[in-house]
Amino acid sequence: MSRRLRWWAGILIPFGVLAVARWVLPLPFLVEVLIFSVYTMACNFLLGRVGFISFGQPAYLAAGAYGTAFYLYYFGRDPLLGILVGLASGWLFSAVVGLVFVRLRSDYFALVNLALAVIVYHLMQKVLAPITKGDNGLWFLDRMTSTPVLDLTRPDGFVWFAWLVAVAVWALYKALDDTVFGACCLATKTNEDKVKFLGYHDFKIRWTAFVLANTTAALAGSLYGVYFGFVSPEMASAARAADPVVVTILGGTGTLYGPLVGALAYVGMKDLVSGVVGNWEFFVGLLLVVIMLAGERGIWGTLEPWLRRRWAWRRPAPALQE
Amino acid sequence: MDAHLWISGVVYGLSMGSIFFLLAAGLSLCFGLMRIISLDQLLYYSLGAYVAYQVNVSTGLTWPAMLCGALAAGALSWVVERWVFDRIYAREITFTMITSFGILVAGVGAIKYVWGLVPRPMGIPVEAQVALLGVNVPVYRIIVIGIAGAVYGAIQWLLNRTIVGTAIRAAVEDVDQVEGLGVDVYRLFTGTFVGAGVLSGLAGALHGPLVMVDPQMGLEVVPFVFMVVIIGGLGSLKGTLVSAFLVGQVVSLGSLVYAPLAQMAPFAAMLLILLWKPTGLYGSALLRR
Repeated sequence: MSRRLRWWAGILIPFGVLAVARWVLPLPFLVEVLIFSVYTMACNFLLGRVGFISFGQPAYLAAGAYGTAFYLYYFGRDPLLGILVGLASGWLFSAVVGLVFVRLRSDYFALVNLALAVIVYHLMQKVLAPITKGDNGLWFLDRMTSTPVLDLTRPDGFVWFAWLVAVAVWALYKALDDTVFGACCLATKTNEDKVKFLGYHDFKIRWTAFVLANTTAALAGSLYGVYFGFVSPEMASAARAADPVVVTILGGTGTLYGPLVGALAYVGMKDLVSGVVGNWEFFVGLLLVVIMLAGERGIWGTLEPWLRRRWAWRRPAPALQE
Repeated sequence: MDAHLWISGVVYGLSMGSIFFLLAAGLSLCFGLMRIISLDQLLYYSLGAYVAYQVNVSTGLTWPAMLCGALAAGALSWVVERWVFDRIYAREITFTMITSFGILVAGVGAIKYVWGLVPRPMGIPVEAQVALLGVNVPVYRIIVIGIAGAVYGAIQWLLNRTIVGTAIRAAVEDVDQVEGLGVDVYRLFTGTFVGAGVLSGLAGALHGPLVMVDPQMGLEVVPFVFMVVIIGGLGSLKGTLVSAFLVGQVVSLGSLVYAPLAQMAPFAAMLLILLWKPTGLYGSALLRR
């Protein structure tokens, strides 16, 4: 019992702090941090657990967002169903694309993903313009019906929904770390040949991990779509391709709280810097270079060992630490 | 369809392929020798175009302006190599890729800050047209194709006929061995990187008059350049040349058949080729590390 409690405490304490922050921080800021952290979590899993680096995350974000947008613009009105449709379309998209991409070496993988993001951008902007309305985007804010319990059409309800989704995503990825599948993912990153030798299907593991992470990214896209009530090709823009990778590294690659800390720092910085100079791309790029040269451990990666040492003298450390 | 349209389409595709080749050759060489993926080459491409534009506007010169663009790009690449890449050559490929992506994003931000967001038109050096099989073709495009061919020949000559080129080819196979022979490989690295930067800057300057010069131009060309490099195989110069013209033709002729195809067809071609050969047309398994 207490073990399970402690397991959940690891997630609920930081998110509890965020929930309390609801009354301190401005609402749009909090929503942005929550959605962005989900988006980054996907990239963090790919980069830190499976060893995939992808500059094409916007493609999957857009797949989810457009799935939701098509449903809400042309067919239905229920935002919850819309998010499910977005999730399904993201799953389908990454499942098909993954069949080809997962076989590639890591350097090819990153570049092919970047190409994919640009293709999706052109697809949505020009080729499918009759359906997607091109650069004008799809507006469906007033088409959505309000939902019971948590009203997704109002920011006040949406923030709690996003909070719940984020907690669920964290619980999923934390639970995944304890499973055989999670261990296999880490093993493919470390030594692919040994995984094959042990009798695991290397392709299947990577494909599942790829689809799981990119469906998470699509979920973030759906959340963006419902929150703004608007989706445009800008979502798949290659100019934003580095964002999730930057935030993952900023927070600390492969750590559980890295994406959350990174998203908080990144969104905060973006709001602050763009308020002062407007030209925040320059600083993001510079920050990325500095972090990489400084040892790529990120904010949480630096903070965690220190916190653990502070914690240790009061409570014995758990027996099985990595 | 009209045969005239096809001929001008082929010339258009060849000139575009030349630009792709100039950009991708540097990337490919950097990968082969240093095992880095230098996304910041696209920054030198944009910078080359902007400097050429600026010199062109303030002096009215055209060819010297392009030379200035290429040299400015080379200078910036030298600074970046000294400050950043010199420290990270030993790291794994993805590390260099992320770092260089940071440089690219920061550089594009700086370009936006200096020149603004508006696309700028650039003067074309040669406005004459020449009749080719009864079709009027801009001479400038033919010159661009010629320059790309000359650069390919020059690089091949450098690699195969000079002592430096021999050292580079040997270092592609085994860096440690070459270092053991007393060659300062870091000087080779610097030279190759700056050479790649100059080629990228030249590509940008030459491409400037054909398209508008705008801050996003580097990011717009990213997918095509990487398609070229991936299809050709990382590290192979010949593969890069073949795939550059292949992609150029697919883009150009594809858009004649069905306009939106221009953006999609190369991607489909790349997927097919990668399914067939996961390391590209001429990429060798030897280059694995």
